[in-house]
Amino acid sequence: MIGKHPLVVVVGSGGVGKTTLAASLGLASAAQGLKTLVMTFDPSLRLKDALQVGDEARRRAAPVPQEGPGQLDASLLDARQTFDRLIETYAPDDAARQRILGNRFYQHLSGSLAGILEYMAVERLFEVAQEGAYDQIFLDTPPTRQALDFLEAPARILNFLKSPALPIARREWFDAQGKLKATSGLGLFGRGIEGFLDRMIGVDFLREVSEFFLSFNPLYEGFEERAREVAKLLSSPSTRFLLVSGPGQERIPDALFFARKLREAGHHLDAVVVNRIHPDLGVGATEPKEGVDPQSVAAQEDGRALLRWLGERDRLGVEELTSLLGEYPLIKVPMLGDEPTDLASLKALGTRLAAQLPG
Amino acid sequence: MDGSPIDNLSKHRLVVVTGKGGVGKTVVAAALARAIAERRKKVLLLEVDPRESVHRLLNVPPSGGGVVDVGAGLCLQNLRPRQALDEMISRQLTVGLVARRVLKSEIYHQLAEGGPGLKELGLLRYAADRSEKRGADRRGPFDTVVLDAPATGHGVSLLAAPRLVSEVVEQGPVGREAARLASFVSDPAKVAVVVVTLAEEMPVQEALELREMLARRLGRQPDLLVVNGLYPPLEGRLAPTGVEGDDIALDLWRRRRSANEAELARLSAAWQGPRVDFPLLAESRGFDLVAALRQRLDGPFYDGGSPDTTRDGAQPKAGWSFS
Repeated sequence: MIGKHPLVVVVGSGGVGKTTLAASLGLASAAQGLKTLVMTFDPSLRLKDALQVGDEARRRAAPVPQEGPGQLDASLLDARQTFDRLIETYAPDDAARQRILGNRFYQHLSGSLAGILEYMAVERLFEVAQEGAYDQIFLDTPPTRQALDFLEAPARILNFLKSPALPIARREWFDAQGKLKATSGLGLFGRGIEGFLDRMIGVDFLREVSEFFLSFNPLYEGFEERAREVAKLLSSPSTRFLLVSGPGQERIPDALFFARKLREAGHHLDAVVVNRIHPDLGVGATEPKEGVDPQSVAAQEDGRALLRWLGERDRLGVEELTSLLGEYPLIKVPMLGDEPTDLASLKALGTRLAAQLPG
Repeated sequence: MDGSPIDNLSKHRLVVVTGKGGVGKTVVAAALARAIAERRKKVLLLEVDPRESVHRLLNVPPSGGGVVDVGAGLCLQNLRPRQALDEMISRQLTVGLVARRVLKSEIYHQLAEGGPGLKELGLLRYAADRSEKRGADRRGPFDTVVLDAPATGHGVSLLAAPRLVSEVVEQGPVGREAARLASFVSDPAKVAVVVVTLAEEMPVQEALELREMLARRLGRQPDLLVVNGLYPPLEGRLAPTGVEGDDIALDLWRRRRSANEAELARLSAAWQGPRVDFPLLAESRGFDLVAALRQRLDGPFYDGGSPDTTRDGAQPKAGWSFS
């Protein structure tokens, strides 16, 4: 996989270790002499320390000081920063730019629009892919359980742009005096909706929302075009997906769900990585050798019973995943005593993982 | 027993259980709901995940959107946030015809699905109503509603939503509702916040961020921190047995436990409120696990202000892990 595919997308539910695995694969890729970028959302402080990237990586890709023949950059995704920069870049003139940046709806609520983080990741991805400065990009995705929000964001934005909501929101609602215009032109339906909005959120806020959408008018076409481009990039055969899952049986429904979604969307799932598997201690491994203090054996019994149970749970979980997702290679990553939080251990993990990934 | 975390939670109308995905938040919420209901209270546990799973933890049929009687004072409901928002909006639109037309309209659909904070408002309003009055299904009011908050993003979005919306939407029923709910969730006498975490770096980081956000945005603290899935302590237990495979297991155990301890220390340094620690149990996610955790809620808990005391009189144990 290393070097063969320009874009590798790492997906999976929250807490399974996507970010660590994406970073370690990035290091392995750079170790092979490639110019690599890791795009991530929410790395832990320790991972940021390990990669030695700070907040500047929210604005632009920052180099990770690793001693490989290649190069590794890391980029942290931040919805608001990306949104601001989009407006800086694409607004037709300074007046339009200021209008959007100064809008109250934009300032307070744009950062919490549903799906905005995912959409902005798509925008960032488009930027980077356009520049073509990297041999390989590893994209970590935002933690989500319900859906592949990230993959669905481009389509959703396109639908949103086509939906009847925007023409209504983008209409000139207010006359030169700032009064709500007569709405008879909209007919019964329009009056009901407009009256409803006015009643629910009040005319002032309505004005802000309307101004926001109006000032966005010149930007829509570009949004639509870029969303389409990224959708194409994500479903291109050269873009590969890695699905990361936890080992326990309670994680299996999530993994199946992701695999099904990817299949339905026509994406190319290369492998399922089962992360943090407890060692299988087998049954009956408790018979101590001669000469060992029986008291210490008894004292450890509870903890060892727990570890045996965890090992057994994970073994069954992996077996079940193998039988349910047999069409994909299944890569097992053991539970490590210490989380890999320095460059050397991250690289070791990445190299071992990369060696098991299908070519 | 007065003063235990469960006694304290039982006094609130709404208990919001938050936490990052994968920390066992839902299992903890179920255990808390059972424990509160056993204080001879009528409790409604609200699940928001469209993929219903709580019914399996409580051995009842799926809710399918309605209220299911679990027994022993506890009820369960799987609530779609959209359903709650629709209800809130139709109450504001007194003319039935208008309400139906609005709810069916595309622009309302877009706003409800994409509009920041709206679903959260609907959810909180629904939970507040359930603790205040009899529902249309003629159940309730419930003494306490336990809300298993959606595990999206940082979990802060639900609690911060009313304030956020009320700052921008100043007029109209939505603005007024947002302001009312903002003061509701800020009121430590009415709403309790439980933060569930693992003693691992990322979940602890998020738990601390959540605490910071609650203080900054809502001027309040969480009421209880639950640390889930701890590897058991092993002081003085490390003598090798010479058993094959044990060395790996013991090494893993020792390292995971010491990572847990480092994170617990980080939490104690930043957290002055009560804390309950749950060990990792050899039990699959299910009814028995909930029952086992529920039992432990009666055990000693950690009072962050003074690590040497328990309020329920039980003897504190070294390392403060579990009873």
